[in-house]
Amino acid sequence: MPVAAALKVLVVDDQNSVRQMTRLILEEIGIRYIHEAENGRQAMATAALQPLDLIISDFNMPEMDGLALLRAVRGHPAARKIPFILLTGRGDRELVVKAAQAGVNNYMIKPFTRDILRHKIEQVMGKLS
Amino acid sequence: MAGLDQLKQTFFDECSEALQQIESGLPEILGGANSEDTINAVFRSVHSVKGGAGIFGFEDLVKFAHVFETVLDAMRGGKLAATQEIVDRLLQANDVLSDLIGMSRSGEAIPPDHGCESRAALEQILRENLPGEHADNDAPAPADFEGLDFVPVTAEQLQASGGAGEYRLVFRPKPDLLKKANEPLYILRELRKLGRLDLLAETDRLPALAEIEADRPYLGWTGTLRTEAGRQAIEEIFEFVNGDCELEITSLAPEIPGAGDGGEEPPVPAAVEPEADASLAKAEATRSPQSAPQAPIARETSEAATAAQTKAKPAAAATTTRIELEKIDRAVNMVGELVIAQAMLGQVVHGLPEDVRSRLVQVVDEVAHHTRELKDSVMSMRAQQVNAVFQRMPRLVRELAAKTAKKVRLEMVGETTEVDRSIIERLGDPLTHIIRNSLDHGIETPTERRAAGKSEEGTIRLAAEHRGGRIVIEISDDGAGINSERVLQKARERGLIGPEAVLAEDEINNLIFLPGFSTAEKISDISGRGVGMDVVRRNIQDVGGRISLRSERGRGMTIQLALPLTLAVMDGMVIRVGSETYVMPMSAIVECLRPPASDIHALIGTSGMLKIRGNLVPLVQLRELLDITAAGTSSDERVVIVSDAGEGTRFGIVVDELCGHQQVVVKSIEESYGSVPGIAGATILGNGRVAFILDVEKLSDIASSQNVQTGIARFANGGKEIAAVVNRDWGKSGPPRRTEKAVG
Repeated sequence: MPVAAALKVLVVDDQNSVRQMTRLILEEIGIRYIHEAENGRQAMATAALQPLDLIISDFNMPEMDGLALLRAVRGHPAARKIPFILLTGRGDRELVVKAAQAGVNNYMIKPFTRDILRHKIEQVMGKLS
Repeated sequence: MAGLDQLKQTFFDECSEALQQIESGLPEILGGANSEDTINAVFRSVHSVKGGAGIFGFEDLVKFAHVFETVLDAMRGGKLAATQEIVDRLLQANDVLSDLIGMSRSGEAIPPDHGCESRAALEQILRENLPGEHADNDAPAPADFEGLDFVPVTAEQLQASGGAGEYRLVFRPKPDLLKKANEPLYILRELRKLGRLDLLAETDRLPALAEIEADRPYLGWTGTLRTEAGRQAIEEIFEFVNGDCELEITSLAPEIPGAGDGGEEPPVPAAVEPEADASLAKAEATRSPQSAPQAPIARETSEAATAAQTKAKPAAAATTTRIELEKIDRAVNMVGELVIAQAMLGQVVHGLPEDVRSRLVQVVDEVAHHTRELKDSVMSMRAQQVNAVFQRMPRLVRELAAKTAKKVRLEMVGETTEVDRSIIERLGDPLTHIIRNSLDHGIETPTERRAAGKSEEGTIRLAAEHRGGRIVIEISDDGAGINSERVLQKARERGLIGPEAVLAEDEINNLIFLPGFSTAEKISDISGRGVGMDVVRRNIQDVGGRISLRSERGRGMTIQLALPLTLAVMDGMVIRVGSETYVMPMSAIVECLRPPASDIHALIGTSGMLKIRGNLVPLVQLRELLDITAAGTSSDERVVIVSDAGEGTRFGIVVDELCGHQQVVVKSIEESYGSVPGIAGATILGNGRVAFILDVEKLSDIASSQNVQTGIARFANGGKEIAAVVNRDWGKSGPPRRTEKAVG
């Protein structure tokens, strides 16, 4: 059973407000180590450097979108075992299929509540304590 | 949630940016240049608004943004062509979006039917063009896509499937390896960088010490390497010794295709074979209970790989950080203080004995140099591209052109020119007004243009560039130009000039800058909003800028705005009058001269006239105006600074001494003293003294109105004083007594 306070999570979203909101919710869940990145490229640099337990990434971002990030992570020797949750819009059904093929761990439709986020994380990481 | 309100503010700030992006992007889509990128950017902006609004619970915003987004998405996917009509609808939708954001921000209740029309229009576009598509999203977001066959992959499964590979290595160098100057130790070190290396040295071939030949390898190694890099990476290390050694690389765990080389191929997702994964996980668990710890070196190399990967991409947009304006302002202030301190330091050093000074001078110069650079870079943080204002103009032109049934093309040049944001903020209204004027009065109707032998489509050109430490913005059109007869007639009707006055064409054209002037035949709702060119001129002058105008009958006109790059630091001329020191903006100075007393003529209603190259220029006696009584320089020593009041009128300011040219930091005095006519602000000079910065134009206004008043008063006195005034020679008479102080 993973301890929430010990999880290191990277939140990727180009929108600062959404990123901060996600952080707020993660903190409510009890997660303490939260890294942030504004786009796929920044996220990749962080993932290559930091030991991470989970990446939560938006899909729609300039430069490198969430799917491209997922593929880069899965192809990167140091980062490829990091669990990955993709945030999607409610119309992004086909995207989830592609993401599954690329090795995504879970997806979450925006906007989400704290309970849903927790549930989605627990589906991947196991029950949080 | 403590930070929620602040986050909402952040969201609304992002919305403002998004709105701008949409506003400037939509017309570009029509233009066709890079339209795919542009549509994507616009789509993303609307999408961001929607996403954020969803998270922060602004339901009305979400609903509207959703329809908006759906139309854009269809355009993005090529299912909908970008026609003028659709883009117009989208621009209207952006207005509604802007309203909704504004209302959400201020917490106003949004009327249920607000934006209904626009929404209906968008929905109609969807209905007409894409029968299958519907933008219905009134239901709350589901947690999962219904009916989608997706099973979340647990971290454990991932760990197992994407785990590191383990290799068994046998490496036995042959004699040639050393002879070719290869070193086994380096190879082993390289291997260790790939992951966890456990090696056992084979020493059985090692002979007795006496028999050892220095260039023969006797050792061999066997062991395991646990690495997340692929086999290829290992083989690369042995690339140069291949053939000069016995080498075996055998994989112990299943390898993952494409691993270690930047990931062109995603690995097989775990979800596909859950059972195989489970067994793998078990197998792996017995081998290595913990996930392979990464050696720091391996991380460095992988970082380098990412860097190389990113480098290969085309030049990306500059990354930005959002900083509160207040923080930058504080930095600007600190730099201002630093500039002052540095000026003081310079003066102190100047006063030191020669031997000490020579050693200090170089350091002080260095400090001065760095201070200047620091100032420039801090100022550039406040700088914004003029595009921030320019981008509002295409739409203005399009709408006005539609309203007036004229054909107008807007050309923009130099949109990326940067200028301080305080100036940008005050540029919007004047520019809007000038362009309105150009379109309303300047550009003719297509019929008129055809008759005049011009193309039906008129052109308005908006250009910005840096010129001599200022930013120059030109708004030119190829319209009819100014009708000087009509201007003259109007000016006479309104009593702005005397009926007999004879004016040069240029002077006539400049009359449009006078308060209370409007030549529009009738007040149209386009340019006749009670704001005339005089307000435009005042706006520009308020930020230390100048406005000038050129017009050619039948060919068009050009209005030029010359503005300072920043308001915080200014080029100033330090002057002395009596015992007082003032600073005059360099931008206001045309020339400085020391005229002989014979060139100065007394004239009733003035403080004297100066004859320069055959022209008479009214003088402003700063000493009188500011009521300075301390003795000054004798009249022959006095300096006249010729200044430009705009619209070609010049006047001379009489001072005692020019002390030098200096960059000064402008400090507002309004907070402490309110608005003082004639004083633009204050600054601290190198010697630590406070000096007022003069508002030159205002001074000339004050001086002329006072002169007129005293002149009238003297006439009223039965002409008693006239003789005295006429006889008053420059400098001989003392300052006249005043009942009213100009500045005080």
